[in-house]
Amino acid sequence: MHDVPDKSAPPTDVSHLADHLFREESGKLVSVLTGIFGLERLQMAEDVVQEALVRALQTWPYYGIPKNPAAWLTQTAKNLALDLIRREKLFQAKEPQIITFIENWSESAGTEESPAFESEITDSRLRLMFACCHPLIPQESQTALALKTLCGFSPAEIAKAFLTTEAAIAKRLTRARQRIRELRIPFEIPSGAESAARLDGVLQSLYLLFNEGYKASSGDSLVREDLCREAIRLTELLARHPVGNAPRVHALAALMLLNGARLQTRTDSEGNLLRLAEQDRTKWDRVMIGRGIYHLAYSAAGAELSEYHFQAGIAACHCSAKDYESTQWPQILSLYNQLIQVDDSPVVALNRAVAVAQVHGPAEGIKTVRAIADGQSLDSYYLFYAVLAEFEAQLGNHEAAANHLRKAIKLTDIKSEQDLLARRLQECEARRPRETMA
Amino acid sequence: MSSTTPASEYIFLFRGVHWDKGLSPEQLQHVMGQLVGWFDALHQQGKVKSGHPLGDESTTVEGRRGRMIADGPFVESKEAVGGYLVVQAKDLEDAVAIARSCPNLDYGTSIEVRPLLEECPVFRRAKEILASAA
Amino acid sequence: MGTPTTKSDYMLLFRGTDWDEGLSPEQLQQVMSNWGNWFQGLIDQGKVLSGHPLTNEGKIVSGKKGRTVADGPFAESKEAIGGYFYLQVLDLDEAVAIAQQCPGLDYGIQVEVRVVAERCAMMERAQEAAAQAQQLAGTPA
Repeated sequence: MHDVPDKSAPPTDVSHLADHLFREESGKLVSVLTGIFGLERLQMAEDVVQEALVRALQTWPYYGIPKNPAAWLTQTAKNLALDLIRREKLFQAKEPQIITFIENWSESAGTEESPAFESEITDSRLRLMFACCHPLIPQESQTALALKTLCGFSPAEIAKAFLTTEAAIAKRLTRARQRIRELRIPFEIPSGAESAARLDGVLQSLYLLFNEGYKASSGDSLVREDLCREAIRLTELLARHPVGNAPRVHALAALMLLNGARLQTRTDSEGNLLRLAEQDRTKWDRVMIGRGIYHLAYSAAGAELSEYHFQAGIAACHCSAKDYESTQWPQILSLYNQLIQVDDSPVVALNRAVAVAQVHGPAEGIKTVRAIADGQSLDSYYLFYAVLAEFEAQLGNHEAAANHLRKAIKLTDIKSEQDLLARRLQECEARRPRETMA
Repeated sequence: MSSTTPASEYIFLFRGVHWDKGLSPEQLQHVMGQLVGWFDALHQQGKVKSGHPLGDESTTVEGRRGRMIADGPFVESKEAVGGYLVVQAKDLEDAVAIARSCPNLDYGTSIEVRPLLEECPVFRRAKEILASAA
Repeated sequence: MGTPTTKSDYMLLFRGTDWDEGLSPEQLQQVMSNWGNWFQGLIDQGKVLSGHPLTNEGKIVSGKKGRTVADGPFAESKEAIGGYFYLQVLDLDEAVAIAQQCPGLDYGIQVEVRVVAERCAMMERAQEAAAQAQQLAGTPA
């Protein structure tokens, strides 16, 4: 039998895909398609994009990665969308108009010089961001929906990040989509009187998203880094757009970047948590710090001061200290004093106490902690005891410090935190006078 | 099961049902990177003769003179082949070893490894029968 | 293939490895020669680029890291794939028309016609660019 070999060898020097390309492109494509299909058909847009990615997966390994993978994905998503519109006869009267739009879209998307379309994509993403963060959608659903649609996270990944089950996340997503349909939430960037309040809602959601990733407490560490990165990406996207070019948006971007720059150094190579004093400052991300300072500068334009401003300022103090000893604690304390005026949560108060102790000594620190503890529900918070232990140890009261540390260990379920506290406990016990060890 | 005439070419038929379901774009990109790397390495070692993914649409022709034409089997079906690869290997064992290194197996794909023959076994059998009948 | 008309690639998968059962030597011989002529004709017309029968042995590899390696069954099955043709023709209609000429159909063989997923123009360009780059790298300045 004859055999004519088909020449299908893929190029051997396949260029590797940009990091997170699929995730980023899917966020863009879902936004644009939602603009076309309508917000009530959000799920359909998500499905089309997923299908386009799967097509890539089915063909690229055989033929190699295309030169412009993003354009390939756009083209494929466009074709799938056109098929769907024609097959399902979705839009009746509007159909020719929509088809024309999609066809133009792909033509301009293939080339890099299409600023008009780039801004259209950005607008679509912001519309989707405002829709996901609509005040009538429950807060926990907002972040889940933003992660799913704007950042291309799977329910399993979201569940990992929020330490909950996939089923719970699926339920949140369904509820959010339902609310969007029931309430006919518009796919638009709000303007006029409501725009400031709506912007605050979006910032709140982005802040929560970042914090979820940033808090050292829990979850898969890779997913947590991704959460932080996505929150930063969306916040910077917002800050670049006229609707989001406000001091508090820049302040939020600054606080994320300046904290995010230190994320990698919070654990050692074995995953053990490190305290600020122990972190390797040479490994802080200089590029992120630079971007953070840039946004911090923009946040100062105007009279507006938000809680994000103070938090960004505190983070900037840490980032600009070349070592732990040269940290500007008086400046940090003054920022905490202002922050506590707008946010009097016990956690902020506890952090402020650390700055008080640095400036006025550990005894003052203990006093400050005791003052907030009155009538507040910090007793079941492990950091409350960890902070007290630190102050007692500095005063040489190793016995008292050890007692606090034992309580703190009991109050946290997180292994890495327990390990850090246990390490401290050992140090305290070693320094405790011999006669008290009975 | 040892082959009397060890073939040097084998066809891999890839099958899998919705194995990508529930994977995020990030995970899909990861899987794709692994797959591209696998294909690439095989190409560079000169082990791949040809290979193609198959489109989702399929038409089946059957019956006398091909009277019956039907759509399907659909990609949703377990039997559907999503792509194939013709691989050069020392023997079936070697071919199976190559198949086992495919990263997609972790995601529920299965690979049917079949030796390619220059002559159809049915025809060979027919020839034998004819020879004995003569 | 001097014509510049675009051609598409199709796979014909022949399903069924039990079709010869109960056929007389005479019938077998007939099918065999019909099949041979059919295949040769398609090759001469440039419509078949390659084609192979598969033996009835083989393995199915599945499971994480390919943990499971199972035998067939590939022999005497209605669904098992017994061979394939790689076609280059004008369109699906032509591919189906060719499938309809398969001499095995009368004996129960099923022919599955599948579109070979297109390599998009963008990929072709990427490969050309890569090839050119390699050439350039190879030529001394």
